[in-house]
Amino acid sequence: MVCRSCLDERAAPVVVDTSVVINLNATGCAEAILRALPNRCVVVEDVLLELQIGRQTGRGDADALAVLIEQHLVERARLGGGGMSHFASLVSGSAAETLDDGEAATIACAIDRGAVALVDERKAIRICAERFPNLSVGCTVDVLAQHHVQAALGPGLADAVFNALDRGRMRVPDQHGQWVVDLIGKERAALCHSLPKRLRAG
Amino acid sequence: MTLQSIDPVDVGARLRAAREAAGLTQTDAATDLRVARTTLVAMEQGRRRVRIDEIQHLARLYGTSVNAVLRCEAAHVDLVPRFRKLSTANDEAAERAARLLTDLVRAEVELENLLGVTRTHNHPPARPLLPGDVRLQAENDAIALRQWLGLGLAPVHDVISLLELELGVRVYVRPLDSRVSGLFAYEDGVGACILLNAKHPRERQAQTGVHELGHLTSRRQTPDVCRFDQHDDSREERYANAFGRAFLTPARTVTVRFQDLTAGASRFTRRHVILLAHAFGVSREAIVRRLEELGLVKRGTWDWFEAHGGITNEQARQVLGEPVAVEPDSREAQRPVSLRLGLLAAEAQRRELLSEGQLARLLRLDRVELRRILDAADIDGNDTNGLPKLPR
Repeated sequence: MVCRSCLDERAAPVVVDTSVVINLNATGCAEAILRALPNRCVVVEDVLLELQIGRQTGRGDADALAVLIEQHLVERARLGGGGMSHFASLVSGSAAETLDDGEAATIACAIDRGAVALVDERKAIRICAERFPNLSVGCTVDVLAQHHVQAALGPGLADAVFNALDRGRMRVPDQHGQWVVDLIGKERAALCHSLPKRLRAG
Repeated sequence: MTLQSIDPVDVGARLRAAREAAGLTQTDAATDLRVARTTLVAMEQGRRRVRIDEIQHLARLYGTSVNAVLRCEAAHVDLVPRFRKLSTANDEAAERAARLLTDLVRAEVELENLLGVTRTHNHPPARPLLPGDVRLQAENDAIALRQWLGLGLAPVHDVISLLELELGVRVYVRPLDSRVSGLFAYEDGVGACILLNAKHPRERQAQTGVHELGHLTSRRQTPDVCRFDQHDDSREERYANAFGRAFLTPARTVTVRFQDLTAGASRFTRRHVILLAHAFGVSREAIVRRLEELGLVKRGTWDWFEAHGGITNEQARQVLGEPVAVEPDSREAQRPVSLRLGLLAAEAQRRELLSEGQLARLLRLDRVELRRILDAADIDGNDTNGLPKLPR
């Protein structure tokens, strides 16, 4: 099955949420992926702060991201005035209609910069569709399935995707599920508890 | 919703609660925000509208998020001030643990409110301390509670599930400073809450859990910090210690088991200790001390073993077989959230009431650990259409 990445036709920068950073690190080849990805990759302060909390439990995502920033593969961003206004609207209100700071800041930054917001969260995607219909939203699989990334990783792509599922428990949207299973194989898919049950059962 | 549409008095009150939960003074916060203390006071009283960047700055300083401060349903429970009144005041490890307990209780209450779930408290009847021998009262109260729960005199192998599912106590197991074994607090509307140290062996967690159950039984309005290195000879502590021993190792059952195991033996051996400790799910030291207390072995028996090489895990493996049998539910003790809390979190995410980021912050978990818990709680995945419906 062919997977169409939302990034194949877009040169706009991507703003990555915490979950996407964790998934990319879990692939074991985040550097190669980001070198191949033609889109500039941006991360907001709130995501960096959230990842730093993970240091207390021994997670290395903050350090891995720091290396990627040092290599200029990821750019740090702070929200400007317009971004802060969107951020405020996304964090204040009822629980069902708000997001945590990292998710909200990622979306606000993407709106502000005309970028693609990369989030792996159903609720965040739903809120974007309802409130910011013009915003382009993608997920980690869109990065992994981007054709330059596929070409750069070659046969290593399947291992990268399996690692993201196995180590990072990556979430996969319905439209990409079959592509993921075809890529990693049914046996390995059966081991990935973050995949929907129907995909694991083969 | 915009920030302007929220009542500034409400925003101020939430900021004040967050600051107090973080243990910071108004001067600390004002200095960090680079405003006068009077300005911060005006913000907290709602007399000066707070800008979003100021809330963001303060939320970071307080170790929380803007969303956690401004979310309408955020539950405002604060158990920390109760602990500050204890003799363990100025004890940083205890204060950190009290803050963690507050955060976890707050998370569970918010999840219950969001999902419309009412927690059933089935706490044991209160039995205030009476004049006289507290140890004797504790023995009697522990046996009475066992009868009330229908446990009879049988060993209890899963104290955490018993506390949570039978007694409706909120139980959390998280890594704490090694000197802190556990905390207990009770608040009307929230019920009894216990935090246990995940770094401690399961047997010790069980002993701490029933020690705190003793506090729930005798003096629930007073919180407790159970510390490894603190000798407290108050009547309350002597009661809680004796209650815990009597609950886990009832005198009659221990006596019968001891006589069965040692029948025909002329010496009390390491093998006896290992088998008895295993039978009651307590540490080897705890069972020997209990035997000493009941007069079944001489005082100083445990000290003798300690002075003669102790009793090793390897010896336990030899006696109990390799591998040592693991009870199916014993991994519960290592879970950072209870099964119930995990199910509430999974349901809140399934209904899109809370995002992954909100849940991770609420439950004080990193994203991957949260995903593991959500996956475990959601073994049917999203394919729930064919599953039987519950009558409502």
